Amino acid sequence: MGSTANNITTEENTTQAPGEEHDDSLDDGSDGEAWVFYRERKEWADITPVPQDDGPHAVVKIAYTDPFTDVYDYLRAVVVKGELSERALYLTEDAINMNAANYTVWQYRRKILRHLGSDLEQELNFCREMIEMNPKNYQVWHHRRVIVEWLGDGSKELKLTEIIFSQDAKNYHAWEHRQWALKTFKLYDRELDYVDLLLEEDVRNNSAWNQRHFTISQTTGFTKEVIQREVEYTKAAIAKVVDNESPWSYLRGVVQHCEGSLASVGDLWEWCQKMHDEGQCSPHLLTFMLDLMEDRMERQPDLRPTLLKRCLEICESLATKYDRIRREYWRYIERNLSHRFGA
Amino acid sequence: MSGREYLFLRARHVKYFRRCLQVLPFTSVTYDTSRMAVLYFALSGLDLLDGLSELDKEERQHIINWIYSLQILPGNDRDEQACAGFRGGTTLASCRGESSCDTVSQLDCGHITMTYTALASLIILGDDLSRVERPAVMAHVAALQCPDGSFFSTRGGSENDMRFMYCAAAICYILQDFSAINTTSATKYILNSMSYEGAMGQGTHLEAHGGSSYCAIATLHLLGKLDSSLSRTQRERLVRWLVERQSGGGLQGRPNKPPDTCYAFWIGATLQILGALDYLDTAALRQFVLSTQDPITGGLAKYPNSNPDGLHTYLGISGLSLLRKDNLKPVDPALNISQQALSHLHQLHKNISKNSTVPC
Repeated sequence: MGSTANNITTEENTTQAPGEEHDDSLDDGSDGEAWVFYRERKEWADITPVPQDDGPHAVVKIAYTDPFTDVYDYLRAVVVKGELSERALYLTEDAINMNAANYTVWQYRRKILRHLGSDLEQELNFCREMIEMNPKNYQVWHHRRVIVEWLGDGSKELKLTEIIFSQDAKNYHAWEHRQWALKTFKLYDRELDYVDLLLEEDVRNNSAWNQRHFTISQTTGFTKEVIQREVEYTKAAIAKVVDNESPWSYLRGVVQHCEGSLASVGDLWEWCQKMHDEGQCSPHLLTFMLDLMEDRMERQPDLRPTLLKRCLEICESLATKYDRIRREYWRYIERNLSHRFGA
Repeated sequence: MSGREYLFLRARHVKYFRRCLQVLPFTSVTYDTSRMAVLYFALSGLDLLDGLSELDKEERQHIINWIYSLQILPGNDRDEQACAGFRGGTTLASCRGESSCDTVSQLDCGHITMTYTALASLIILGDDLSRVERPAVMAHVAALQCPDGSFFSTRGGSENDMRFMYCAAAICYILQDFSAINTTSATKYILNSMSYEGAMGQGTHLEAHGGSSYCAIATLHLLGKLDSSLSRTQRERLVRWLVERQSGGGLQGRPNKPPDTCYAFWIGATLQILGALDYLDTAALRQFVLSTQDPITGGLAKYPNSNPDGLHTYLGISGLSLLRKDNLKPVDPALNISQQALSHLHQLHKNISKNSTVPC
């Protein structure tokens, strides 16, 4: 009994593990204090640990440390007993600290929290710490959502995601959580201001542009006035940095909400043309011009000969000069447009 | 691009995957509940490198047995079957033998990604899937679909998104039984996840993402719904978004993010399914992926000069395989196994349809 884990611990000393140096300190989860094994704790003396059974020929073994094996042997033991107690809750904390990706431990923890009627505000604090330590872990965010649902109170969620964004403003988990909280608790009041702030900090933050689209779609919707306002906002952002895919993409997304077409929104063509005349040749500008012309050719067959010629010139310049990495793509677009709009 | 030409270090990567099959360092402990996925990366990686012959017959059989040992074998009760499928590791597996209490059966559940990677690994090893509890696996998949069409990963509670929908589609394709999926709501979920950028996020309103777009398009392909679901304009915009992900040679997952090895597969395979892979600068992409190799330990990392891991090593190599270079076996972009392994699966499908006594 218990030999499987011990074998693995022995093997780690002889097998060079893939790519990473093994850290042989055994202080995981102990916050720098001396680790006391569960098997040596008086309050756990009534429990017989249950070892992991990996079978005789396990593959992809993990070189567990002794404290890890100890914690998980006791975790298995309380699961087998179906124990839903304060000490089991405490044990899940150690188990999570050692591996926050173990979703079954989180599930067990929720079962205990429910059973004990534990203080969920305290749980939110624990969860926040875990999120700050593991901001890209799916389990911590899921746990957060469940606890917030139980509490029916989303008032701390925007602040939490903002803490995470201060480290990584593009963290997908945090954006997903924020959108969920905004939708569930209707917290949109200051959302566009927050997006503005992020875009001021980094106009290339594509997640913030996406959030702008989300917020508007959930609040005012893309009315005629809003579209006009957003077009002006985006044009100003492009004026700051022309070679930035995010606002160009947003602009395309916004004008698609118009009845009609791309070209029906104000003076976009003239605005592009002016930038181009001033010597701007960002691929994003050229691509947008292509889209405007394609749209025009769809609707006005008489303009096709003139516009097609212009389109093919742009494709050529993208393929040979301004966007050579995508030359095969631009060649394809050249063929595609010629086929659709040629004589 | 720097003038340096990188070589593909095949032998080192074979050794890297061999080591993954044996033992991972404690720093990889976050994979403790997804060891099955690491196994699949290593096996499929060895397969693409034509290195499976390194495993002798006995070793293969041991691996097959280990995979089956992680299958949950429920009774005929529908609720129990909903918790079936394959586990990713043995954290709680030994609890089942010790007790039949509710806590054990609720926590020791199958996981949809582990079920997909278990089945894929079995196919790669040439197994005939005869020990797969088909009705239970199907009940497990069916129980995980949400009303909005997306999927949870496990019965015990999890997030729901596009990743698990892909796993469901792959499982159903492998077992040739789509009855567990409501394809109408699944397709609707996928289309609702298409953002204004023209590609898919993990769900409605979320930022378009290379990984989600792969899961979405591969799912539609596996369900046979790709052509009927996307309009010509949607397809053109998606192709453009995918092609625009090439940045400095490598592929990024989202606009204005650094290129990352794994998107060589996620973006490359999506383009391959859409018949548009050639629009990338494949030579530059290959050089980027090769620049993330670790010349000492083998393996590939997310970025150049970083530590390799199983996921990036495998996805980098399967991404290279799409490019038909470096003597790699060709990979099937939708199931992410070699075309040779897929042929074996297709043979199994034929045998099953010939032999009507085999329960499906």
